[in-house]
Amino acid sequence: MDNFKKKFIEEATDLIEGLEKSLLALEENPDDPTLIQQVFRVMHTLKGNSGMFGFDLIDRFTHDLETVYDLIRNGSLRVNRQVLDVTLAAVDHLKLLLNEDNYSDKEFIHTHEQLTKRVASLIDGSHPAEQTSNAYRSNESAVGECTYYILFEPRKEIFANGTNPLYLIDEVASLGNSLVFAHVNRVPNLKDINPESCYTYWEIILVTKEGTNAINDVFIFVEDESSLDIQKLADLNLLEDPTFVAESKRIAAEKEDIGYNMLQSLAEKAIKQQQQKQADIIKREKITVKDTTISSIRVSSEKLDILMNLVSELVTTQARLSLFAEQNTIPGLTAIAENVQKLSRQLRDTAFSIVLIPIENMLTRFQRLVRDLSNELRKDVVFITEGSDTELDKTIIESLADPLMHILRNSLDHGIEDAEVRQKMGKPRQGKIILKAFYSGANVLIQVSDDGAGIDPELIREKAIAKGIITADRKLSHRETLDLVFLPGFSTAKKVTDVSGRGVGMDVVRRKIADIRGEVEIDSEKGVGTTITIKLPLTLSIIDGLLVKIDDTHYVVPLSAIDKIYAVPTKEIYEKYNNVVILDGRQVSFFNLREEFNVGNVDSEFMQVVVVNYEEKRVGLVVDHVVGEYQAVLKPLGKHYKSQEMVSGATILGDGTVALVVDTNKIIKQFANKEVKTSK
Amino acid sequence: MNQENLSRINSYLSFKLGEEEFAAHVGKVLNILEMTKITEVPKAPEYMKGVINLRGTVLPVIDTRIKFGMSPTVYTTNTCIIVLDIEMDGESIHVGALVDSVQAVLELDENTLLPAPSIGSKYKSEFIEGVANIDDRFIMILNMDSVFSSDELSSMKVKADETEKTSEIEEIG
Repeated sequence: MDNFKKKFIEEATDLIEGLEKSLLALEENPDDPTLIQQVFRVMHTLKGNSGMFGFDLIDRFTHDLETVYDLIRNGSLRVNRQVLDVTLAAVDHLKLLLNEDNYSDKEFIHTHEQLTKRVASLIDGSHPAEQTSNAYRSNESAVGECTYYILFEPRKEIFANGTNPLYLIDEVASLGNSLVFAHVNRVPNLKDINPESCYTYWEIILVTKEGTNAINDVFIFVEDESSLDIQKLADLNLLEDPTFVAESKRIAAEKEDIGYNMLQSLAEKAIKQQQQKQADIIKREKITVKDTTISSIRVSSEKLDILMNLVSELVTTQARLSLFAEQNTIPGLTAIAENVQKLSRQLRDTAFSIVLIPIENMLTRFQRLVRDLSNELRKDVVFITEGSDTELDKTIIESLADPLMHILRNSLDHGIEDAEVRQKMGKPRQGKIILKAFYSGANVLIQVSDDGAGIDPELIREKAIAKGIITADRKLSHRETLDLVFLPGFSTAKKVTDVSGRGVGMDVVRRKIADIRGEVEIDSEKGVGTTITIKLPLTLSIIDGLLVKIDDTHYVVPLSAIDKIYAVPTKEIYEKYNNVVILDGRQVSFFNLREEFNVGNVDSEFMQVVVVNYEEKRVGLVVDHVVGEYQAVLKPLGKHYKSQEMVSGATILGDGTVALVVDTNKIIKQFANKEVKTSK
Repeated sequence: MNQENLSRINSYLSFKLGEEEFAAHVGKVLNILEMTKITEVPKAPEYMKGVINLRGTVLPVIDTRIKFGMSPTVYTTNTCIIVLDIEMDGESIHVGALVDSVQAVLELDENTLLPAPSIGSKYKSEFIEGVANIDDRFIMILNMDSVFSSDELSSMKVKADETEKTSEIEEIG
């Protein structure tokens, strides 16, 4: 049973998350029927499931909520801020309700009761009268409606029976909705009129659920005194079609009578249109249905991890097979090896795409955060997200939520100014925070920009000097100054607020992002705004790399960092004392990895320089020679090498030996620093 | 077999570093490998010899001799890598220990173990669980967890000459 409960909680958590997302979207488009439907459906599912698994409190609570959205669905209640506030609070409460331990908490029960009341008040607030009228109307437009054409031509003598045709018309009209055309063209000149004769005839377009029999019944007593023509025009309510109504009225006004044929053709046109519309609706419904029930299954992340490991193993084994096939030229084997290579590559890509999830999944949280925080801080802020379908490894997304949350808090608290201040500065009163995600090569960039106050470099400088981080005479570029905020113990906020500045600074943000092999950069202009850019690898476990050799050890350089490869005579490398070579007519400073890694001198005539991008500069790394491209399955080096920053992992080559995956940025940073130190 | 059952076994794997004999509880030993090519990791501490491929995973290898303050291992046909399962910061990790030669599996009664000498020892007593006396050979039973989870070399012992070592061993006896 506990197992089922766990499953329920897991599912409910997902549902609630989705609910929150729909609600926030609903706030943007309060009248979107699909969204309302979505919210209602989630509530309904939650109610059903919770009842089934014995979460009675949730069952009752969601029942009330469901009622609210049922009313909204019917149109008797409108989505407004009050409704959304209560619902969002209720959603938060639902999350707590999932934990049964909370039930014994008195305060919790108190909130529960209060919220129940608030929800109930929403239901009471709707107008019951309106509700019934709506219910009536919706009943009316139920199935089975047909449109009939009735031509009723009473004989002249009809009055003799004491029959009043108008009563008949009234009776027909009472069967449903009708459009009645009375034709008086047969009325003769006044002097010829016999007041006891009937000259008028009628054309009626009737929409009713009753069949032809019911219509015939109306005329049953005048059948002999009139000619009657009852024809079915369509199986739907043509009077709801404005063009049909307008057309028939126009014709009736122009000509004496419309006639069945004319109406028939009009009806056909209308029917066609109606069908088109219905097809559209069905199509749309199909799409939405597809969206919501997207044939997905839940898989535990453990299983995914196992799958990923297996795929990594497979890629490694495949590399061995390829190597073996290369060394033993057996025609059949080569073909098989190539096929396996192709398949394993596809398998790898598919497996990796499984663990990639769109960052949209975490954006709901942020939208909520911005909404709540801006209320709390009394700031008017709009949160815009772009590229929310950008996909990232799920582990990256998990570790990204906290730092991003922190950045957003900072933007809201310190970045965006009060509306008054903004107005004075000539900015729109409403602040703007944009979260933009996009691909850039093998990386994903996430940018959070606000149009707030920006960062004052002078302030940072003063503070850094005051805290002893830099000396007063140290000259720093704009970027270097801004970079100071990432140093531990740095917080520019003058006072610590509840929102930010609780001791967790940007240094933690940088560290957390570095943990997932990402980088964070800040750019800001005083008075204009701040942009924080996070650069992340697409996935953590396999990288495309360049296999190089130094001495008899293989290294893998991530391909994403590489710009170009050159061959340079060995003596040019060893005879340079400023470590600069001319490549393609440009000076490129280089590091000889042989020297840096303390391995002996090379005896070959040429060495190769792998030019990599390092902070917008080009830096050469000298290796013995380049072996070729290689897909490296990253393996951790283990705890014993945790202090080893230059090597981000290892990978196993086709022949079973281990190659080290280097982190070019860290290597250059480390060597460059060493160089500076020794030159001092 | 779980950890508890393992620790009840009184079997120890003995190995040699130079002339000195040590032993590790078999519960800690996963595997004994022949010497293979070790990929060196640049800029790592000297005792961290590098990494090897252990059936698809990357295994760090420690030169036990350097760790114990001796000269670096000279590779011979007897050189072995003992794959150990050690506990480090509450996590179980695998590490390879480079030793000069593997000797035998010894059945030792816990009661016959002598306490680790506290004075005059060149090895920190926290690394030694006890000393076994077998045919007048003294074998130091090592606490593998503490030996291989510390990253400090200096914690092991002060550098000493080979000649001193033999005499000291006699002293312990």
